[in-house]
Amino acid sequence: MKIIVCMKQVPAAATASIDPLTKTIVRTGRNAVTNPFDLYALQTAIDIRNGVGGSLTAITMGIPAAQKVLRDAISRGADGGAILSDRVFAGADTLATSYALSLGIEKLGGADLIVCGKMAVDGDTAQIGPELAQHLGIPHVSDVCEILEMAEDHLVVRRVWDDVEQELFLPLPALITVAKGQDLPQLPTIPGMIKGRDAEIPTFTAEDLQADIARCGLKGSPTQVVRTFTPPVRGEAQEITGNEAEQSEQLVQIFREVLHGAD
Amino acid sequence: MDQTLIRDLVSADEEYLRDESKKVGYAETISFPETHEQVAQIMTELYKTATPVTVQGSRTGLASAAVPFGGHILNMSRMDKVLGMRVEDDKFFVSVQPGVILQKLNKAIAARSFDTSAWTLEAKEVFAAFGKAPVQMFTPDPTESTAAIGGMVACNASGARSYHYGATREHIGAIKAVLADGQTISIRRGEIFAKGLQLTIPTEEGNIVNVNLPTYKMPNCKNASGYYCCPDMDALDLIIGSDGTLAVLTEIELALLPVSALSWGVTAFFPNESAAAAYTKLARQIEKGIVAIEYFDACALDILRKQKAESTAFAGLPFLPEAYGCAVYTELHCDSEEEAYELLEALSDYCLKAGGNPESTWVATSDSDRDMLHFFRHAVPESVNMQVERTKRTYPEVTKVGGDLAVPDEYFEELLGLYDATLKEESLLHAAWGHIGDNHIHVNILPRDMDEYSRGKALLAKWAGEVSRMGGAVSAEHGVGKLKAPFLEVMYGKEHINEMANVKAAFDPKWMLGRGNLFVPQGEVK
Repeated sequence: MKIIVCMKQVPAAATASIDPLTKTIVRTGRNAVTNPFDLYALQTAIDIRNGVGGSLTAITMGIPAAQKVLRDAISRGADGGAILSDRVFAGADTLATSYALSLGIEKLGGADLIVCGKMAVDGDTAQIGPELAQHLGIPHVSDVCEILEMAEDHLVVRRVWDDVEQELFLPLPALITVAKGQDLPQLPTIPGMIKGRDAEIPTFTAEDLQADIARCGLKGSPTQVVRTFTPPVRGEAQEITGNEAEQSEQLVQIFREVLHGAD
Repeated sequence: MDQTLIRDLVSADEEYLRDESKKVGYAETISFPETHEQVAQIMTELYKTATPVTVQGSRTGLASAAVPFGGHILNMSRMDKVLGMRVEDDKFFVSVQPGVILQKLNKAIAARSFDTSAWTLEAKEVFAAFGKAPVQMFTPDPTESTAAIGGMVACNASGARSYHYGATREHIGAIKAVLADGQTISIRRGEIFAKGLQLTIPTEEGNIVNVNLPTYKMPNCKNASGYYCCPDMDALDLIIGSDGTLAVLTEIELALLPVSALSWGVTAFFPNESAAAAYTKLARQIEKGIVAIEYFDACALDILRKQKAESTAFAGLPFLPEAYGCAVYTELHCDSEEEAYELLEALSDYCLKAGGNPESTWVATSDSDRDMLHFFRHAVPESVNMQVERTKRTYPEVTKVGGDLAVPDEYFEELLGLYDATLKEESLLHAAWGHIGDNHIHVNILPRDMDEYSRGKALLAKWAGEVSRMGGAVSAEHGVGKLKAPFLEVMYGKEHINEMANVKAAFDPKWMLGRGNLFVPQGEVK
């Protein structure tokens, strides 16, 4: 089976900054990490590749430094990686990003299964996976938390939403997005790290993909970001000090206030 | 003096009678000073009646040093201010009160955020430079990150990274302390030295403390057992590691170091202990970049497998295949990725040579992966504590039965053999982990009843004897406190213990401070 996993580089928590003009996140590559949900997607893809056999390629779109996430994916078990990188792609919303990714996947010769993380922790849209499936004209299941059955031509998956749990039969080719499931991302091994460092990673530009420039980057993004901001801190942290008895008394007082309002 | 400083102990103060060793003591009065002057007032008052005084930090110690044996509890938790900053030859020093918690200090250093409102103008200027300098760190990293700095200095605490950076002692620039009679001493490193084994320390009140230093030779390994002493030594080193028996620390100056560009963690799994020991020996040959070498034995890994299966709090632990017998964790601090990869390649090679498999390794390079390994390493002692607590519900007298022994390099394999043979002989439930890079493994016995508890304690005493014969230390990092005082006598012998008693008497003629620490109680009756 040919599997492609989509990965994204996101700013490490608490280090993100916003461009005051475009209102988008400044991506310098410094203090950047692999989107945590993508690590669950990668682990699911590795398990399927190991179970059914085949190859697993990680793909990302971003600045050249973003190939770090691909090397990370290879160190954890992916067989190879490819990056879509071009100034033309800059400032893309989910529609333009998923368009570029669909071309990248076609450039790689397509896939039997595409695995994405449920969402990226910087944008929180959870749109890339479903949009990508639409561009490619294949079915998708979002929020998969367990693979119940795997075969060359289909998967049986379980997904859980707030009020519903489903088991779904999914004929391949198809796309799934993965929520935090039972398979914790495995850590890289030393040989994995060395394989990741030494891997040849092809870069594809808009021209390589014969992309329609009008559908790429900021130009191809109908989303208008009006404002991006750090949510204001709601209330102040209160430190409880003193001995155990004093601390318990203060806690009881807080519970009382929450339950009955201040005395 | 302010009469409200010292008050009677009431039932709500019960927590101050114990520490993390789970031993429970007794006391009549307690105080919570906030300044050096208040400590001096309290000691002056107590000196009149020769009241025993036990100094407490955050009571995270494992040797019962902060558990009172009568008299007064001097609790330093409200002396928790960072007092200022100094720079010398591009090296930053931060001055703190002894009640400052390590974790909070580390956060403040990393965020470069201190309350400087009460600092001198000079210290504020240094702080401005500190803000622009490379990110700094205070390197000692005991497992218990809620330790108070004063407690860490009192027992010369260390942690995983002490393998490279050294114990707390090496990162102390100066101290200010109050003597049992209320006088003040201030010692800055490099200013007061012994002449041979004669040491004279002036007090700020114009008197002197004359000390005849002991004649013993300290072990050639990691050591936190008894007074530090050697000919021509720096006076500061005598106070550090004195277990609260010589003076009450009121100000401590800590030396900081710049943080290296990369911090990677590598856990390698081995089929058995001898392979892990062989890997450790090879890894120790690497001269630069390895800052910690830590060990987890088969029982420790089994405890983690059980916790992961049974407790949701531990469900996030990584999966441990059954073939993983034991583990060695190394931490790499490097200036560049090239350097880090060179170390990875060396470790991979050593892994093969030692009988391991480089595929059975975990490498953590990102914060989340490092957090995972941190969780893994700390889950072991945490789980052992939970087990002791469970036994304690049925047998309240049970305490932790854990070794803190270290030996010189040439005896390490012999020590491992001794642990293995005696534990098998006694068939006691146990787990071992810790600082294998320093020949310093914490073997913890997990008693399920009073019989196992007594047999565990007897085994610990036996090991202390054997380790002393090997020229090792009965306490390598926890301090001697009360729990290990009998072992100190085994390690050094009566004559040297008497020499130590003379050191104490020079500082504290009425034997008020830290009663029961270092010296077994009958030795204190003068």
